[in-house]
Amino acid sequence: MADKLNQIFQKQQKQIEEPDRSDENIVQLVGFIVGEEEFAVPILNIVEIIKPIDYTRVPSVPDYVLGVFNIRGNVIPLIDLRRKFNLPPINNTPDTRYIVMKGENNIAGFVIDRLTEAIRINQNRIDPPPETISTDKGMIYGIGKREDSMLTILKVESLLKRDF
Amino acid sequence: MDEMQEILEDFLIEAFELIEQLDQDLVELESNPEDLELLNSIFRVAHTIKGSSSFLSFDVLTKLTHHMEDVLNKARKGEVKLTEDVMDVVLESIDMMKTLLYCIRDNGNDTAIDMDLTDIISRLDAISSGEEIPQSTQSSQASEPKEDEPKEEIKEEPKEEELSTEAYSDLSEDEIEAEIERLLQEKKEESKKKKAKKEAEPVSKPAVTPKKPSNKPVSSPKKSASNSKKSGGAAPAKRTASSLEQTIRVEVSRLDHLMNLIGELVLGKNRLLKIYDDVEERYEGEKFLEELNQVVSAISLVTTDLQIAVMKTRMLPIAKVFNKFPRMVRDLSRELGKSIELKISGEETELDKSIVEEIGDPLVHIIRNSCDHGIEDPDTREAMGKSRTGLVELKAYNEGNSIVIEITDDGKGLDADLLRLKCIEKGLITEREADTMTDKEAFALIFKPGFSTAEKVSNVSGRGVGMDVVKTNIEKLNGIIEIDSEIGKGTIIKMKIPLTLAIIQALLVGAQEEYYAIPLASVSETVRISMDEIYTVEGRNVLRLRDEVLSLVRLSDIFNVKQVYDSGEYTYVVVIGLAEQKLGIIVDSLVGQEETVIKSMGDYLQGIDGIAGATIRGDGRVTLIVDVASLMDMAKNLKVDIREKTQSEQKKKESPSDYTVLIVDDSKMDRKIMQKSLAPTGVKVIEATNGQEALNILKSGEHDIDAMLIDIEMPRMDGYTLASEIRKYSRYKNLPLIAVTSRTSKADRLRGVESGMTEYITKPYSPEYLESVVRKNINLLAE
Repeated sequence: MADKLNQIFQKQQKQIEEPDRSDENIVQLVGFIVGEEEFAVPILNIVEIIKPIDYTRVPSVPDYVLGVFNIRGNVIPLIDLRRKFNLPPINNTPDTRYIVMKGENNIAGFVIDRLTEAIRINQNRIDPPPETISTDKGMIYGIGKREDSMLTILKVESLLKRDF
Repeated sequence: MDEMQEILEDFLIEAFELIEQLDQDLVELESNPEDLELLNSIFRVAHTIKGSSSFLSFDVLTKLTHHMEDVLNKARKGEVKLTEDVMDVVLESIDMMKTLLYCIRDNGNDTAIDMDLTDIISRLDAISSGEEIPQSTQSSQASEPKEDEPKEEIKEEPKEEELSTEAYSDLSEDEIEAEIERLLQEKKEESKKKKAKKEAEPVSKPAVTPKKPSNKPVSSPKKSASNSKKSGGAAPAKRTASSLEQTIRVEVSRLDHLMNLIGELVLGKNRLLKIYDDVEERYEGEKFLEELNQVVSAISLVTTDLQIAVMKTRMLPIAKVFNKFPRMVRDLSRELGKSIELKISGEETELDKSIVEEIGDPLVHIIRNSCDHGIEDPDTREAMGKSRTGLVELKAYNEGNSIVIEITDDGKGLDADLLRLKCIEKGLITEREADTMTDKEAFALIFKPGFSTAEKVSNVSGRGVGMDVVKTNIEKLNGIIEIDSEIGKGTIIKMKIPLTLAIIQALLVGAQEEYYAIPLASVSETVRISMDEIYTVEGRNVLRLRDEVLSLVRLSDIFNVKQVYDSGEYTYVVVIGLAEQKLGIIVDSLVGQEETVIKSMGDYLQGIDGIAGATIRGDGRVTLIVDVASLMDMAKNLKVDIREKTQSEQKKKESPSDYTVLIVDDSKMDRKIMQKSLAPTGVKVIEATNGQEALNILKSGEHDIDAMLIDIEMPRMDGYTLASEIRKYSRYKNLPLIAVTSRTSKADRLRGVESGMTEYITKPYSPEYLESVVRKNINLLAE
């Protein structure tokens, strides 16, 4: 028993020490699914993640701007990432979440299909977006390579930029 | 360095406050040249600014004020008579002083604009030495201001100090001390005297004529006291020592922050009230309700009081704006060769700071127009039997939650026909429009951009921008403008402006299933009309309201609200007015009046057409606030015929697969059976597991549903409720609803009919029977 405990302690100790070694190169992200793909945004840009709540439609805006909603007295725009990425809209599922992200001087909520996990990735595992897909108004910060999959890292500033 | 900056800032604030008063006093002085009280206060301003500026070593400013001071000092002693020509020079020098102060504010020094003072100084000197005022520039031997002015002077000469008059510059420090001692003594006596005087009779001619002071710079300060009361009473220059109000300077940003916090509090209060209502309904008669009621009322009362109190801290008297007009009108009348009197009343009326700032420009334009175009020249006036002096009245007063500013002139008035003609000439309106226009609408034409009635363009007005600016500024404030005029008699322009911008009263209206808040300041009335009262004129829907014809638009058309139900035969119209225009907005329901706090929707949703912002309602939901000005613009471009029935264009159904049947049942097996039974028809089948889900599917409009099979007993929402909910929407009035249930009693059947079911099938049923009922209801015949 004691052995096992010791092992766990050691493991924890290792985990604590580990970040120190390569701290500056580690990027912390939160991953989520929209459509079929996995995306991620830097964790520091995320204000909070909430379950879907009622929102109020705003007229004369593009269809991906669903409206505005209230978080503790602040009125925040709600943007549907499926529609923003030109994917067919679906109804809310139990996994649907709103991710509230903030940039320099803007804040908005984004509807995503499902959260995946918090991701730590080394900076050198992130490639710049291929030139051929830079048409997306620079929404992509880079492509994260993981053991078994690819990850599209989004630029929060450009997500929050009004483009209408 | 920081300390220096601070002193400089204080100096500027003080100086601007002083010169604001100065203009008023000077114009006043012209009509009462004997008023020593006024002269003294003007002199003091020049003196104070001179003192401070020399301390801060603004040499140009010091030099100018020094010479002004000389002239004013002489005038005070009665050595120089203040004629109009003298006043012109004095006013000009004050203008230069202002320019220098602005220069200091913007650049931090008074040399940046490189002002040439020789001309003005020579003229000032000429006055003070009693010579003719030279017209041209003559270099003068102006004595340099004393650089060694002791700085104690500024420190030891409080602003309110009534008696700090003469040039102390020649005194030594000891003498100053003694002088201050003496002045304080005198002041005590003076205030005593004043008190006594006040009690006795305010109108008392000065009994003591000031002794002609000797050449010694320290004159008897008594004279200001003895001369303090003027019989006219019009002089607002009575800022005597008695009006020493305890004040404290607070940064505006702090007040703004406070206002924001109050806004949050108001929202919280609204929410509390709403919750209380809900609780009251649920626990009627319970004892704790009483207590809760007390707390809620107390909080809502205190919140309202607090809100008013904070609003008041942001209030400024409108005198701040009005004060500059006497000078302006005086200058204008000299320039235009007219004789114009400006009468101001209600200058103590208070307004939010942000509004006071916005309102200055529009007023300047309107008053200029009144002077330039309204008031005729003296000879014309005489010929018309009016007094030679024209009268412009500027009036401010409160009316409900708004403030009204009225500008009246007794000039020639507006000629509606001439206005129409002009506008047609300039292509601003068509002849047809002109014909149908009422006089009042014609008056409003002066607000059109590019309009000017002046035959000649003077540098005062007539460039055709002024009134347009007035309109935009007033619109920005959600204000309303009204013009009334009679030829030969004069014109009245009335502006109604809300008291504050941050927290507003709003009318909540419903458009289909959405709610919007319309600022109450822009709402003039609400009416309920029958659809028959709506007429169509040139493709526009109009309503005859008393003797006005009102354009109508539907709020849900402007904001593209999804049409889910018809409003029926009667409908509500909210009449909104902004600046000079009016518009009727058709809404589906009127919810009520509520206090709303405007919240920005962030940069992302800034400047959406027709939306001014958002607010959070008592139930925590966000409601959008309508931007009345842009709503009116949107309404102009809207072409929707309201009376046209919203007929959903029925798509032709050709094959059985074009039909959709929605099955609502909580049992999976039952759904399967029904689906199997319908399979032979070939129709498309979708499923829902309870009433709520079914209703959502229906409302989402994703499927064009032709019939529904409904089980009665279901969780969340049962079949009866579902049926009656569906029947609320006019679109689904004729949607076949087929109850499929094992409840067989007559009462159940009856309830089914009541709730709006079309058919009633009892379980068990044969698949063929179900199929045939569905076929019958969707008019799909078996091949």
